[in-house]
Amino acid sequence: MTRWAMAIDLRACVGCQTCTTACRHTNATPPGVQWRKVLDLEQGEFPDVKRTFVPVGCMHCADPPCMHVCPSTATKQRADGIVTIDYDLCIGCGYCAVACPYQARHIVHEREFAYADGPTKSEEARFDEKRMSVATKCTWCVDRIDSGLAKGLKPGVDPDATPACVNSCIANAYTFGDLDDPQSNVSQKVRGTTWFRMHEELGTDPHIFYVWDEK
Amino acid sequence: MNRNQPASVKPWHQTNWDWRAALNFICGGTGTGLLVAAALFGGAAYPWLALVALAFVGFGLFWVWMEIGKPWRAINVFFHPHTSWMTRESIVAGPLFLAALAAAATGKGWLIVLAALLALAFLYCQGRILKASKGIPAWRAPAIVPLVIATGLTEGMGVAAAALAAAGGLADRTPIIVLVVLLVAREIAWRRYRSALAASGAPRGTLDVLGRMHRPFSVAGNWAPALLLAASLLVQSGAGGLTIIAGAAAALFGWYAKFTIVARAAFNQGFALPVLPIRGKGERVPGAKPGWQKPAGG
Amino acid sequence: MAADVRKVPEYCYQCVAGPDLLQVKVENGVATEVEPNFRAAEVHPGGGKCCVKAYGLVQKTYNPNRLLTPMKRTNPQKGREHDPKFVPISWDEAFDLVAGKLNELRAKGLLDEVGYPRIAASFGGGGTPTYYMGTFPAFLSAWGPVDFSFGSGQGVKCYHSEHLYGELWHRAFTVCADTPTTRYVLSLGANTEASGGVVAAWRHAEGRMNRHLKRVQVEPHLSITGACSAEWVPIRPKTDPAFLFGIIHVLLHRHPREALDVPFLKDHTGSPYLVGPHGYYLREPQTQKPLLWDLRRNAAVPFDAPDTDPALEGEFTLDALELGADGETWNHTGVRAETAFAKLVRHMAQYTPEWADKVCDIRPGTVQRIADEFLAHAQVGATVDIDGETLPLRPVAITLGKTVTNGWGGYESCWGRTLLACLVGALEVPGGTLGTTVRLNRPATSRQASVRKGRDGFMEYPMNPTDKAHWAERPTVRNAYSTLVPLSANSPWSNALGPTHLAWLFRDGSPEHWPEVTPPDLWFVYRTNPTISFWDTAAIARRIAKFPFIVAFAYTIDETNWMADVLLPEATDLESMQLIRIGGTKFVEQFWDHEGFALRQPAVAPQGEARDFTDIATELAARTGLLEKYNRAINRGAACAPLSGEGYDFQLAIDCKHTSEEIWDRVCRAASAEVTGGAATDGLDWFRANGYRTRPISRRIWYLFLELRKQGIRFEMPFQERLLRHGVELGNRLHEHGIKWWDTQLGEYQALPACKDFPGIWEKDAALHAKGAEYPFWLVTTRSMQYVWGGNAGIQLMDEVSRNMRGHGGVVINTRTAERLGIAEGDLVEVRSYLHDTQGPAILREGIRPDTLLMIGQFDHWATPYAKDMKAPSMNSLVPMSIDLTDATGSAADLVRVSVRKIAA
Repeated sequence: MTRWAMAIDLRACVGCQTCTTACRHTNATPPGVQWRKVLDLEQGEFPDVKRTFVPVGCMHCADPPCMHVCPSTATKQRADGIVTIDYDLCIGCGYCAVACPYQARHIVHEREFAYADGPTKSEEARFDEKRMSVATKCTWCVDRIDSGLAKGLKPGVDPDATPACVNSCIANAYTFGDLDDPQSNVSQKVRGTTWFRMHEELGTDPHIFYVWDEK
Repeated sequence: MNRNQPASVKPWHQTNWDWRAALNFICGGTGTGLLVAAALFGGAAYPWLALVALAFVGFGLFWVWMEIGKPWRAINVFFHPHTSWMTRESIVAGPLFLAALAAAATGKGWLIVLAALLALAFLYCQGRILKASKGIPAWRAPAIVPLVIATGLTEGMGVAAAALAAAGGLADRTPIIVLVVLLVAREIAWRRYRSALAASGAPRGTLDVLGRMHRPFSVAGNWAPALLLAASLLVQSGAGGLTIIAGAAAALFGWYAKFTIVARAAFNQGFALPVLPIRGKGERVPGAKPGWQKPAGG
Repeated sequence: MAADVRKVPEYCYQCVAGPDLLQVKVENGVATEVEPNFRAAEVHPGGGKCCVKAYGLVQKTYNPNRLLTPMKRTNPQKGREHDPKFVPISWDEAFDLVAGKLNELRAKGLLDEVGYPRIAASFGGGGTPTYYMGTFPAFLSAWGPVDFSFGSGQGVKCYHSEHLYGELWHRAFTVCADTPTTRYVLSLGANTEASGGVVAAWRHAEGRMNRHLKRVQVEPHLSITGACSAEWVPIRPKTDPAFLFGIIHVLLHRHPREALDVPFLKDHTGSPYLVGPHGYYLREPQTQKPLLWDLRRNAAVPFDAPDTDPALEGEFTLDALELGADGETWNHTGVRAETAFAKLVRHMAQYTPEWADKVCDIRPGTVQRIADEFLAHAQVGATVDIDGETLPLRPVAITLGKTVTNGWGGYESCWGRTLLACLVGALEVPGGTLGTTVRLNRPATSRQASVRKGRDGFMEYPMNPTDKAHWAERPTVRNAYSTLVPLSANSPWSNALGPTHLAWLFRDGSPEHWPEVTPPDLWFVYRTNPTISFWDTAAIARRIAKFPFIVAFAYTIDETNWMADVLLPEATDLESMQLIRIGGTKFVEQFWDHEGFALRQPAVAPQGEARDFTDIATELAARTGLLEKYNRAINRGAACAPLSGEGYDFQLAIDCKHTSEEIWDRVCRAASAEVTGGAATDGLDWFRANGYRTRPISRRIWYLFLELRKQGIRFEMPFQERLLRHGVELGNRLHEHGIKWWDTQLGEYQALPACKDFPGIWEKDAALHAKGAEYPFWLVTTRSMQYVWGGNAGIQLMDEVSRNMRGHGGVVINTRTAERLGIAEGDLVEVRSYLHDTQGPAILREGIRPDTLLMIGQFDHWATPYAKDMKAPSMNSLVPMSIDLTDATGSAADLVRVSVRKIAA
């Protein structure tokens, strides 16, 4: 079996938002819709202050609350763990968005453009009517994974089969791969470091592993 | 849209369900509560009370329909009865309408009971819809379910009592006693809900909003109508007026509570780190959960 | 429609941390996505990734606010308040206008009546525009003298003192850690994770994750880099020299001498040189070579005598010659003299870590602890093999940031940093502090080749002369670098390095005994916006408005080209063509194991009538009769690489116009030949398909110590005899001409710098101009990766994602300070200096000193589309431009005293 998973090394992340922009490019999301983004968290009081950059997005939970609540079955989970949305089924009720404890889902009802004058050429070229008024979220670039696999490539290793955020990271903070393969990048990363998962107490079994220290 | 707005690390208010969704909980609760009340105490007034109740439920569903992104695909809402309480609510809605209409038309007792049971099921679904919303700490608390049910029944009974009193048909004092009991139950459910949230921890925004709501809801929404109803039992004249005021208050403050919970206190989970990364060298530093009030004793 | 999808290799050089190699996805002729050029991971030290700014290039291409046709001004009135009333014109008319003006000026003479070049040109940060201007440098070269005096931020927003002193001491235009090897980095304000580019981010992250690389970040606010560091020390602004001096004290006075790298100090620095009573080296009378005391012979010997054991410390009696300034000499007999190191030890005795903690306003014990950590990590005595050469391994480095390395205190900081590295032998060795590139020394292509032994055993340095016979009494350009700043040298970069604000400052009236600073008759502007990016931006705007003829290569309207006479829309990043050198060691942290060339090419057709810069340059050359000179300049290498070399000759015919493609094809062929030793001569088509071509290089070029050791050269540390002499001579020259307004600056020329009250300089300046008002806060700025050097304030995507990082678009203020002032998150606040005010929403943070405010980047736009609606505050209009705040290198700092108040909730 295959179970895709992602590890993000918080020791590495520099908050540059390159993954945010790479995701915006690859997935052609409209302005303000960031399936992947990096948070800027401050902790402590002056002068004992720490600041941490935390990439967030869909955690592709093993037990995804968004899927359970979805009334239309638009939200599904593949055998490889990726949580998907069928834009043709989704009714845009937003229930998944309030069920997701990671604020990972977005619904856009009106077309938005980078500049007030209307769509730029690239926005026009990439507009997808199907995505209007339905829930959208990070797909772990499932199209890249599937087409990459079809070409015999290895997700997490070969860029053409790997999520854009992982490809783009300038600090090597991201690792992606098959958690069921003990030799995969992500298995080795998870095995070799100390990590947590966000909001794990909510029982979602999220599949982004946040590395914070060595083993 | 959060276009060009800073990515918040603190919980912010959910933007997916607004007043239209709140209306579904308001009207669905009152409508189903009214159906139950009508079944219990409607008597001859049952048909028109049932029709009013259905109007409430239908009005709420209409606004939900208006809120969804793809209204012409609304039929898809029925596709996921296995786990989705929204599907289940929709599925219950059909028989509920049929049973209540049939009961109103025929006056058959078993249909009335069936309609009331379906109404309870609908109301329960509404509670579970909120509880399943894991992303909203104010909703996912299990104590939300008894609160939703208690207030739905209270609102319905309030409307029924006020309506029957207004129509001069409240010879029996039982509905008033039941309403008092429901008001007390709602107060208990409310307090349990709040203390459960405080115990589990919640976004400060949520607790602030609920904190501001507490006094008006508790005093004017629960205790005051309960006292008015108690008074109505004792006074010789004006009991009808007191009942109308109390019934209206029971309903109105229920609406206020649900509007607040759905559309004002629904801060999302936000983000949290149980521990901060060690950047090169250093000690373990406790994590951050911005915008949260820690659980009591936590 | 079946999608026609291509991926086009490109480079991004929007910032000095470039180039990043990327590819652009083009679907049916429309650029849609940017992604790394994944293949480049094989040669690029940052995993082949490209930074966030590169992702703005698609929007940049299709920005509806672009100027897509040449324009001319129809309103003769210039100024912020005057709408220029630009009207579209044809390229032919535009060329007629510009070439007509150029021909008219050429006929008058290349220099104006005062002697300044009639043409001036200003380009944006760190020379990055040259990676986009095609063959325009060849045009400028063909033209003759061009004045680059008018800066757009140089001196204020660069590492100015570091550039100058860095090149003097270790051929380090900029300085960085040897990140792949280092284990401890002391960073005073160096915002590496925001401005170090992909390579720095990649390598530091690797160090944090895999090698316990500890970085201590010392700065007034918790920057991006501070966030990524193991520790943050919130230092009071401008007290960095005290911090470094405190550490030096600990190393010199609280640890045994053997803990330092004594052999390094004795053999590879000027530490053992003997210093005479007048503060200059004692020299052998016959050879004038500096003397040291040889413990073997127990006698003074010239520094380069063989087989010596130099005394590091001690006082000795000897006969010697002392050479002062302006040829003054003293012949000493039986004079008592100390070594330079002994003088240093005594000099630093006053700067205890306890004193430093207080000056820097940090927790007691911090400086001592960090000094101990620094020394412990230095591994004095360790060695490592680098491609067959044994080198010291000293995995400790010190990096300095902006505002530390410029303005008053810059000299002391740079000196302290370089000295600290020397004390443990960690300068230009693996793991230590390294220079990146040379810009003031020549050749600019090789740090090693720029190293030549000077007469005193240190590296030769092209100081601008200060002796009576050779001093440049009349400035040749408007910023007078060669007259006032001996250290600024005289390379093509020196002119643009400045002190560039003097050109702006003196436009309003020259100081006493100083020639008039005339406006240039024609000013070329490209990829720069000094009206936003300089100090006292309102004054800059007023001065630009008085320039008679401005030609702006323009992307959109902006605050500078608002004053232009002609706007020329050049094809932008993804629409035009250029080949550049990549690899080796470059600005910031670009240390590669490869070097070669990369191509930028049209991924999409130019929008509108935008035209490739090379074609613009060629047409201007043709219309000004400079075509032959222009083509010759290209043949010589003005466009990246010489077109002929050993075994190859791809030179252009000089008497005709060549298209951009023809020119770059030749350059590509020459580059192929150069990088393969003549084995390949592939041209443009090959580079179009492959993007870049490199060859492996040895890491030995990273470490300048090797070259110094080979040539028997010492680092010029700790004693700055040469600077002292030039300072005295410069003072003599200026005083001979009655110039007293540079006297404070002359005080900076000290052989062993003293730590002064640097914050007091700003505090006193504010008090002097306060007129009763109080300015109790420091205002500082910081960079962000989304914007640094990018010229991309009008790109929505950058605005959007930058706001995920707290601080953009507002005024960062300490939470408790804000509470005390009744300021809540998001309240509109006014920040005021004695010069001006700016407004923005308050952003409350714990990670900033209570006495400091912060504004990220430089905004305050009023003409640039999109950016002008951001309403972001900027410190630039608040910072006064003055001689008083200018140090001896001609730089000042991004720092100003301000007040803050709430305006609205």
